[in-house]
Parts: sequence; C-alpha cells; structure tokens
Amino acid sequence: MIKVLFFAGLREQLECDGIEVEAGQIATVTELRGSLQAKGETWSSALSHESLQVAVNQQLANMQAGVKDGDEVAFFPPVTGG
Amino acid sequence: MAVDISISVQAEGFDPGAEYNCLRSENYSDGATAMFVGNVRDFSPEEHGDEHRPVAVLELEHYPGMAEAALTDIARQAAERWPLGRVRLIHRYGPLSAGEEIVFVGATSAHRQASLDACTFMMDFLKSRAPFWKKEFAGKESSGRWVQARDADESALDKW
Repeated sequence: MIKVLFFAGLREQLECDGIEVEAGQIATVTELRGSLQAKGETWSSALSHESLQVAVNQQLANMQAGVKDGDEVAFFPPVTGG
Repeated sequence: MAVDISISVQAEGFDPGAEYNCLRSENYSDGATAMFVGNVRDFSPEEHGDEHRPVAVLELEHYPGMAEAALTDIARQAAERWPLGRVRLIHRYGPLSAGEEIVFVGATSAHRQASLDACTFMMDFLKSRAPFWKKEFAGKESSGRWVQARDADESALDKW
C-alpha cells in the first residue's frame, strides 16, 4: 500500500486527510495522482492544480518521482510558513 | 567543530530572550548573534485589488515529521555555507492570536556577516520549503481564508 496524505486547502477540498492506495502498477507520482483523480470530479479538479506540490517519504519531490509499495506520498498547496 | 543545531516544531509559545540566552550560554568563541522573530499581524496585506482585512487568529497547519526534517535540512545547509557556532530554529503550529510569535531563527558566528546572512538564508528557505500553511480568521465566528504563496518568496531563493 501507498500511504497518501493531503494538507491545508487541498485536505479541505477533498474532505480527506489521508488514504491508502494499492500500489499495483503505480510507479510514479503522476500515475498515483491519475488513479486518485479517477475517484470523481472533486478529486479530479482538486489534484489538477498547476501549483500542486508533492513530497515522497517527507522529501519534496516532483511529479516524475518514483513511488513504490510502502511509501508515504503527500500532496499539498504551495507552503506559506515562516 | 560541529555546528550545534537545535530544531523545535511546537504548539506552545517561546521566549525570544530565553532563546538568546541559550545561544550565548558559555559561548565565548562567537562574537556575533543574529536573530529573527516572526509574529502574527492583525491584518492581511492588500493583494490582487483586495483591501486590507483584519486578522484576529492565524491557524498554522503543518506536516508532522516532514516539518522537523525540512527545518533540520535548512539549518544544515546554512551550517555548510557559513562558519556558524550555534543554530536555533523554532516554528509553531496551531491557532495563534495577533501579536504572538510564530517563528524564531537564530545563529551565532565569530563575525557578524555570517550570522546575519545565515538567518536571512534560513528564513528564505523556510518560507518556500518547509511544510506549513497559514489560514487567517477575522474573528471567532468567521470562516477562514488560506494565505496564498507569494511569488516573491519563491524568487527570494534565487539570490542564494
């Protein structure tokens, strides 16, 4: 399984802070995002934002990054700390 | 000598004076101490034609685990670039009222430029690389509004 987390405005849009996804054929963040977007209109539009950020195993990554069974992948809007 | 790095991600407040004392305690080799403290403003600045809006409470969301890792990475990068003695980073989360402290960045060095530059560097990276998100509330009854990331914060990294 891949543990997927959502934060901030994205978490609110999806009304979901996390979900487990069967790794199956998923090998990249883009493929993981695609499988989540297939869950419906809300998921499709919320995860299509150009500014969407991603972290794989708590390290900032890009959409081409590899993912595998057991990974933790987080999607979130651009950060606004400090 | 290894740089002494201390990181905290916490809900509770902190005392900038006490943090200064920690940076200085039995520290006889560093002649310079630079610090930055970020506080909650009581207004949201104008942007995209919007007028100033009052802010009573700022709610800070964070990604537990990654937040600590990101701050540690930023502090280590600073320690590789400048000859620092001690580095202290604190970032709070949870609901914070106007005026409260949000973030503390402190660095000591033998001479002032290294500590000043290291603090600016760490704040610049923290703004665009650490997983924290701010939501503003005008009052207890109001619905919140997520703060949008600013392009200026991302482009601030270019100078490093």
